[in-house]
Amino acid sequence: MSDKHDVETAELSIWFFCGILMLAYGVVLIITGLMEFHHPPPTVLADLHPTLWWGLLMALFGAVYTIRYRPKHLF
Amino acid sequence: MQVFAALMMKGQMTKLAPVDILILALYFALVVFIGFYAKGKANTSEDFFLAGREMTAWIAGLSFVSANLGSLELMGWAGAAYQYGILATHWYWIGAIPAMLFLGIVMMPFYYISKTHSVPGYLQLRFGEGARGLSAISFGVMTILMSGVNMYAMAVVMQTVLGWNISFSIWVGAATVALYVMLGGLRSAIINEVLQFVLIWAGAAMIPILGLIEAGGWTNLKAQIAANVGSRDYTHLWSTLGSFKDNPMGVHWTGIVFGLGFVISFGYWTTDFLVVQRVLSANNLRAAKMAPIIGAAFKMAVPFIVIVPGLLALAVLKNPDGSVMHLVPASIAKVTGQHSYDDVLPLMLIRYCGPGLLGLGITALVAGFMSGMAGNVSAFSTVWTYDIYGAFINKKASDKHYVAMGRWSTVVGMLVSVATAYLVMNAASIMDYVQALFTFFIAPLFGTVILGMLWKRATHAGGFWGLLAGTVSSIGMFIWTHSDPGALRYIALSPNAKPMAENLYRGLWCWLICVGVTVVVSFMTKPVPAEKLGGLVYGVTPIPHDGSTTLWQKPMFWAIVVITVFFILNLMLW
Repeated sequence: MSDKHDVETAELSIWFFCGILMLAYGVVLIITGLMEFHHPPPTVLADLHPTLWWGLLMALFGAVYTIRYRPKHLF
Repeated sequence: MQVFAALMMKGQMTKLAPVDILILALYFALVVFIGFYAKGKANTSEDFFLAGREMTAWIAGLSFVSANLGSLELMGWAGAAYQYGILATHWYWIGAIPAMLFLGIVMMPFYYISKTHSVPGYLQLRFGEGARGLSAISFGVMTILMSGVNMYAMAVVMQTVLGWNISFSIWVGAATVALYVMLGGLRSAIINEVLQFVLIWAGAAMIPILGLIEAGGWTNLKAQIAANVGSRDYTHLWSTLGSFKDNPMGVHWTGIVFGLGFVISFGYWTTDFLVVQRVLSANNLRAAKMAPIIGAAFKMAVPFIVIVPGLLALAVLKNPDGSVMHLVPASIAKVTGQHSYDDVLPLMLIRYCGPGLLGLGITALVAGFMSGMAGNVSAFSTVWTYDIYGAFINKKASDKHYVAMGRWSTVVGMLVSVATAYLVMNAASIMDYVQALFTFFIAPLFGTVILGMLWKRATHAGGFWGLLAGTVSSIGMFIWTHSDPGALRYIALSPNAKPMAENLYRGLWCWLICVGVTVVVSFMTKPVPAEKLGGLVYGVTPIPHDGSTTLWQKPMFWAIVVITVFFILNLMLW
C-alpha cells in the first residue's frame, strides 16, 4: 500500500458507509414489515410482505459490508 | 386499494409515515457526517478537486455512472418509456455503453498521463488558452444553471408527491449539498455518489420486481401493453426503426446509431467534465481505464429500474373505476388535473411501496437530486478555480489559496443555482432552454477533443475555430427549428421526423461542421511541433503499460465482455 490514504482501507471506508446505512434501513424495514402483519398497507401485492423481505435482504447486505469494512481500530 | 385510489386524486399523491421520515433523516445525518469526515482529507488542491487521485476502479466507476443517475433523469426517462416504449432504452445502451468503453480503452490514457485537472485543462495543453477559455466559460455557466434546474425539479417533485413547500425543499437541499461539497470537495461528492447509487437500487428495485409479478412476467407484460395501446411497437428496440413513421418516437435508426450512439453519447461520456472528473480521481492508469468499463456494466442494468417501470405503467396503472389510466404531457396535465408522464415513477412507487419502502424510495429520489447538484457544483468549482480564476485572473496564488477559492466558489455556485431555481419557478420555459444549452456544446466539444487526441496535424487555431463553428451552428439550428417547426424536415432529412429526432441530427451536423472547420483551418495554419505534443496525441505518445498482468486484470478483456453482453441484450429485444 502506498503512503497515501487508500479509501478502501482508510479509517472509514466508503463501503463501510454503504454497509452501515443499509443495515440501519434493513432493521427499520424488518420492524415495519413485522408490524404490517397486523396493519397491512393499502398497496398492491401487500400480501407478499415486500417490506419484510426487502428489509431482510438489506440487513444481510448491510451486515456483510459493515463487518467486512469496519474500522479496524474500533473493533 | 380504496386508499390508493383516493391518493391518486388531485393534490399531493401521498404522505410520509414516521418511519419514512426516520429513513430520510438517517440519510441526511449520514451525508452531513461524511462532509465533516472528508474535510480532514481535503487540504491540498489535488485532495479537494480530484479526491487526491486515490480512488479505486470500483469507486471511480460507480461514481462515474452515478453522477449521471440524477432523479431528473430517472423520472424523465421512466416517463419517456411510458410515452415511447422500450425505445427509451437506447439512451442507456447504445447512447452510453460504446462511448464509456471508448473512454476507458482509448481516451483515458491521454487524459490520465497528461495529468490534467479538467477537460478544459486538456484543451489548454493541446489547443491553447482560446479553446480552454471558450470551453471553461460555457461549461461553468451551463453547469451552474443545470444545478438550479435540478434543484427546482426536486422541489416540484417533493411538492407534487408529498405536498412540501417549494422554498423549503430548495433551501434544505442546497444547504446540505453546499455544506458537504464545501467541506470535503470531490471526495465527499464521490462518497455520496456511491452511497446514492446503492440507495437508488435499494429504493427503486422493488417497483420492477413487484410490477413483473403483478403483470405475470415479461411475456404477459408485452401482451398487456399491446392490448392497452393497440400496438406491438412499444416493446421492440430496433425492428421499428426502419422508418420515421413506424415507431412512437418518430426517429430513424441512422439518428439513433450516428446521432445518439456516436456523436451525442461520445460527446457526453468522453468530454463532459462532470463525469470525466470522477475517472480522473482514479489511483492509477489501470483503475482509470477500468472505471468507465465498470460504470458501463452497471449502466446496462439501469433500464431495469427506469424503463421497466415506465413499461409496467402502460399495463397495470388503472383509474379508480378500473379503466386503463392514461398519462398526458405536463402541459395538458396542468389544465386537466391528470397525471403527467413524469409522474410515472412516483405513481408506481406509491402503488407498491407502503410505509418504510416508500421512505426508502423517496430518500433514493432525494439522494439522486442532491447527488446531481453536488456533481454539478463540484465540477463547477474545479473548472472555475483551475480554468477561469487560476488561468485568467490570479495565476500565481498558493495552493492553499486555490483550495479556499474552491470552497468559496462552491458556496457562490450554489447561491447562483438557488437564484436559477427561483428564476425557473417564475418562467418554466427557461428550464427547457437550459437543458437544451448543454447539447449546444457537447457534440462540437467531442469533435475538438477527439481530433486533438488522434490527429497530430490539428492546430491551435483549428481547434478553436472548429469548436466555435460547431457551437454556433448548433445554436443556429436550434433557433431555426424552434422558430419554424417545418425546418425539422431539413435537419432530420425526413418530413416524418418528430421533435425527438431534432436533437440527434443537430448533434450529428454540428459535430461534422466542427470536424470540417478544424481540418480546413488546421491545414491552413502552421503545424504544432511534434515535441510539443508528447503525452497529448496518439502517435507521438508512448502509452505506458497499465500494470495488468493476468487476463482478468486487463481492461480490454472486460470491455469485450461488456460489449458482448450489450450486443446479446440488443438482439434479445430486437
